[in-house]
Amino acid sequence: MDLKTGSEMSTDTDTDTMATEPTPAPTPSGTPRPLAPSRPRWLNPIGVLGVVGLGFTVWLGLWVTPPDKFQGNLARLLYIHPAIATVALYWVGLVAAGGSLLYLWPRTRSLFWDRLAASAVEVGAVFSALTLVTGSLWGRPVWGVWWTWDARLTSTALLLLLEIGYLALRRVPADLHVRAKRCAVAALLIAVDIPIVHFSVDWWNTLHQGGTFLDPGFKIHASASMSWTFLLGFVAFSLVFVWLLGVRYQVEVLQDAVGQEELEISLAERWSEDGGSAGAVAPRVTPAGHGGSP
Amino acid sequence: MSYVDAGYAAALGTLFVYAISLVLRRRRWERALRMSEPPVAQDDPPARGESS
Repeated sequence: MDLKTGSEMSTDTDTDTMATEPTPAPTPSGTPRPLAPSRPRWLNPIGVLGVVGLGFTVWLGLWVTPPDKFQGNLARLLYIHPAIATVALYWVGLVAAGGSLLYLWPRTRSLFWDRLAASAVEVGAVFSALTLVTGSLWGRPVWGVWWTWDARLTSTALLLLLEIGYLALRRVPADLHVRAKRCAVAALLIAVDIPIVHFSVDWWNTLHQGGTFLDPGFKIHASASMSWTFLLGFVAFSLVFVWLLGVRYQVEVLQDAVGQEELEISLAERWSEDGGSAGAVAPRVTPAGHGGSP
Repeated sequence: MSYVDAGYAAALGTLFVYAISLVLRRRRWERALRMSEPPVAQDDPPARGESS
C-alpha cells in the first residue's frame, strides 16, 4: 500500500517507505522533517464507485424492488442494515485486529499498522452506531420495540462502547510507540467481541434472527431484483468503508506529523533557552499524543 | 416519515456528514503542517565573497 508517508520517517522501522520521496529539511533537533501524506490515486475512484453504488442501492431499494410478502416495505431496510453491520463487524474487525497484531509482532512492527487499526476503529464506531440505529428502526415496527436486551443487540452495543473506549485511550498523551502498544491491546479486546456478536444468535435464544448466509440449508426465496439490490448494498458500503478508511488514515498521519513538528520546535526553543551546552545535539524525540487542534 | 425513509436518511446522512468532516479535518491538518514548517528561502544569492 502506498499510504505510508513521510511522518513515519521518525521511526526506525519505517525509513524504507520514503525511499522515493524527496528528503525534507531537518527539524531543529536534526530529525527529518515529516512530509504531508501523499494521496493514493486509487482512493478517490473507490469513493466515487462507492457513492455510485450507494445511489443505485437506494434507487433499487426504495423504488424498483417489490415489497416483501410478509414484511411489506419494511424489508427495504434490509438492503442497508446487514451491509452496514457487515462492515462494522467483519471489515473493521479484520483491519483493526490484523493491524494491531501486525504492530505487536516485532518483525512487522510499524506505525503504519497502528494508524491503520486506529482509522478502522473510528470508521467502525460510525458503522456500529448506524447498525444499531437502522436495526432499531426496523425492530420497532417488526418486533414492537426500539430496543431489547437481546444477545445480538447487546453485544453490538458493547462493540460500539469498546470502540469509543479505544478512541478515548488513543487521545491519552504518550510516546507514539507506547500509545500504539496500548491501542493494539485495546483493539484485540474489541476483536474478542466480534465472534461473540457473530455467534450470539447461536449461543443464546435471541429475538434477532439466526445466521442466514452461512446456514447450510439457506436458499434464496427472493426475486432477482431483491437479491441483486441486497448484494449491491454489500459492495457499495464496503467501497465506502475503504474510502473512509483511506482518508481517516491520512488524517491520522497528519495529526502525528503536526504533533512531531510542534514538539520539535518547542524542544528546540527550550534547548536554546537553556543556553545550549556547546556542541550538544538535541535529542531525537517522538510526539506525545496527537498534538492540539490545528 | 416512514421507518424505511428514516433508516435510509440516517444511514446516508450520517455517512455523508462523516465523510465531509474527514475531508475538512484532513485539509485543516494539512494547513497546520504547512504552517508549522519554516519558509524555505529559495534562490538566495550567495553572500559576498562566498563561493558556492
